[in-house]
Amino acid sequence: MALAEICKISNASYMKPSAWTSSEVEEDLNAFTSNLANPYTLAAPPFENPLENLNKIQANGEKTGIKINFDHGTTTLGFKYQGGVILAVDSRATGGQYIGSQTMKKIVEINQFLLGTLAGGAADCVYWDRVLAKECRLHELRNKERISVAAASKIMANIAHEYKGMGLSMGMMLAGYDKRGPGLYYVDSEGSRTPGNVFSVGSGSIYAFGVLDSGYHWDLKDTEAQELGRRAIYHATYRDAYSGGIVRVYHMTPNGWIKISETDCMELHYKYKEEKEAK
Amino acid sequence: MSILAYNGGCVVAMRGKDCVAIATDHRFGVQAQTISTDFKKVFHIAPRMFLGLTGLQTDILTVRDRLMFRKNIYETKENREMAPKPFSAMLSNFLYEHRFGPYFIEPVVAGLDPKTLKPFICNMDLIGCPNEPDDFVVAGTCAEQLYGMCETLWRPDLEPDQLFEVIAQSMVNAFDRDAMSGWGATVYIIEADKITERALKTRMD
Amino acid sequence: MNSLGIEQFPDYKVPGVQHVDFHPYESNGGSIVAIAGDDFVVIAADTRLSSGYTIHSRDQSKLFPMSSRTVLGSTGCWCDSLSLTGLVKLRMQMYEHTHLKTMTTDAVAQMLSIIMYNRRFFPYYVSNILAGLDKDGKGVVYSYDPIGHCERATYRAGGTAGSLLQPVLDNQIGYKNQNLPADQLPPLTKERAVAVASDTFISAAERDIYTGDSVLINIITKDGIEERTLQLRKD
Repeated sequence: MALAEICKISNASYMKPSAWTSSEVEEDLNAFTSNLANPYTLAAPPFENPLENLNKIQANGEKTGIKINFDHGTTTLGFKYQGGVILAVDSRATGGQYIGSQTMKKIVEINQFLLGTLAGGAADCVYWDRVLAKECRLHELRNKERISVAAASKIMANIAHEYKGMGLSMGMMLAGYDKRGPGLYYVDSEGSRTPGNVFSVGSGSIYAFGVLDSGYHWDLKDTEAQELGRRAIYHATYRDAYSGGIVRVYHMTPNGWIKISETDCMELHYKYKEEKEAK
Repeated sequence: MSILAYNGGCVVAMRGKDCVAIATDHRFGVQAQTISTDFKKVFHIAPRMFLGLTGLQTDILTVRDRLMFRKNIYETKENREMAPKPFSAMLSNFLYEHRFGPYFIEPVVAGLDPKTLKPFICNMDLIGCPNEPDDFVVAGTCAEQLYGMCETLWRPDLEPDQLFEVIAQSMVNAFDRDAMSGWGATVYIIEADKITERALKTRMD
Repeated sequence: MNSLGIEQFPDYKVPGVQHVDFHPYESNGGSIVAIAGDDFVVIAADTRLSSGYTIHSRDQSKLFPMSSRTVLGSTGCWCDSLSLTGLVKLRMQMYEHTHLKTMTTDAVAQMLSIIMYNRRFFPYYVSNILAGLDKDGKGVVYSYDPIGHCERATYRAGGTAGSLLQPVLDNQIGYKNQNLPADQLPPLTKERAVAVASDTFISAAERDIYTGDSVLINIITKDGIEERTLQLRKD
């Protein structure tokens, strides 16, 4: 095989006893599905600077009609008050102008004491929330205590920072209850992470904030707080084209989260209309 | 985003047995923001004729006004009612006059001929290429969804009641899958002796 | 020769900067519809494979049987569909060899999501719909966006005519906007699911140039996968 060696063709498949070897196939397979074993190893694109170049390929799609529309668009909100944390979200997923789903789950139940809301790229949020859920469980097993909301949100922010500039699109709130009491953090794909009392994220957030800010104070009763969240999301779905479907309300209490309600926007609209006309 | 989808909205018209129906949604938006929910894109322009216009709102109003002007001139000169067929021809010519700087609208005409009472429907692209099928025409941001619905639900020779049901279901289910249209709908059924206007109860998100 | 003694080349017409674009994707068209019932699931796809205005094949199945109770429908860029479904099949085989059992539909659904997300920065250009029976024998449908966001549903349309078909399914299978009380919704039978799926394809073939030729329908029940075909218009 000296000639082959000199010619540097020893790796060519036709110089091998069989056209392929199982180890090679295994290597390929592991490379193509690398994130099954380690969620952080995503395939590298065959071009540099994915944020810019992937957009270029997609801009080209404008001409050829080949467009990759990720599911997008949302209104989510969360606020802390005396009784814990309220999270409220809509359920519409849009790919461009097309409504891909009216029943999407935008609150991810990470564990009994941690909830995440998702806005932006649906796949990004769901995937990394799943990774976060794994990390939180590992933390519990290693340290014999639940992870704090601060630590969990830090993990998420670190992931976001790792992939900064690659084109991830996430705007999430993490809500939980730990030793320090109720916790609410905003984390996004640019790497920012801030604790706070009142947040709203997504295309309809401006409308939700309008309702939320006018009705919010710390001493709200539980039912009042839940209704405030629901009403804020409803008003956002009315004004924002990319929000709608079902209004989901979750309540984080010292004993973990409770699902309060899932109400169709149509039902809410005609209920609120009736109430307004009755006045 | 296409300028035709800037304000959102959709219109559909269907032929039935001795009747036609035309339906419109109520949304007037600016991209994602819904400004008003009582903007009907269908206009009653002659006793048995309706004109539906989708696209850019400012052009919808301009085209409607300019067409009314031309139609009134025609009716004054000829001293007779303008039928849907010549009206569509006029509309087509009007749009083609602006071939290189078009109005960003997609028109739909539906009506009965004033003399023969024959049903007539027609739609055009923004520069006035006319299309007069014998089933249904669609226009607007959810045209694809409307095609899917109409193609499944429409049958020949529908009676006015059935036609209402078909056009209402087509419209509502189509715009429920489109972010830019919806927020209420109105259906007009045009028969020889009467016009029925019915508002639909729809999702408001 | 000019005054400086340097030879000047005549003015050539130079071709200018060659700009090479990277076109990794192609749309090969096709549509999928899946409808789940209580103890069955119907998944249908047309068999036309095209590119632009050319038809490559009139008889290309876009349904990939993954196991006796799971079928994956995949359209979009056909080469991406092939490599993706190949990977999933391989991983399912590995699973079977290590765990001595077939992957459940729900497990396949989650795995597919993760495998698709692996290519987050250079996505597979595919529209996937996974249909099957879950571990309780109930029909399920999972639909995906190109980077692996997955949602469980009871009916779903995808592919080039997805936007034409989905509102029809909302209306005919989901009984949306029919104002029926929740307890009066008629139960979905296998025959009705097949009939609606067939009707939607006949409609789609009228208006979508990438959908036509014929429909391949797979009906998955606990007894296995039954295959049917329906001819569509071929123009």
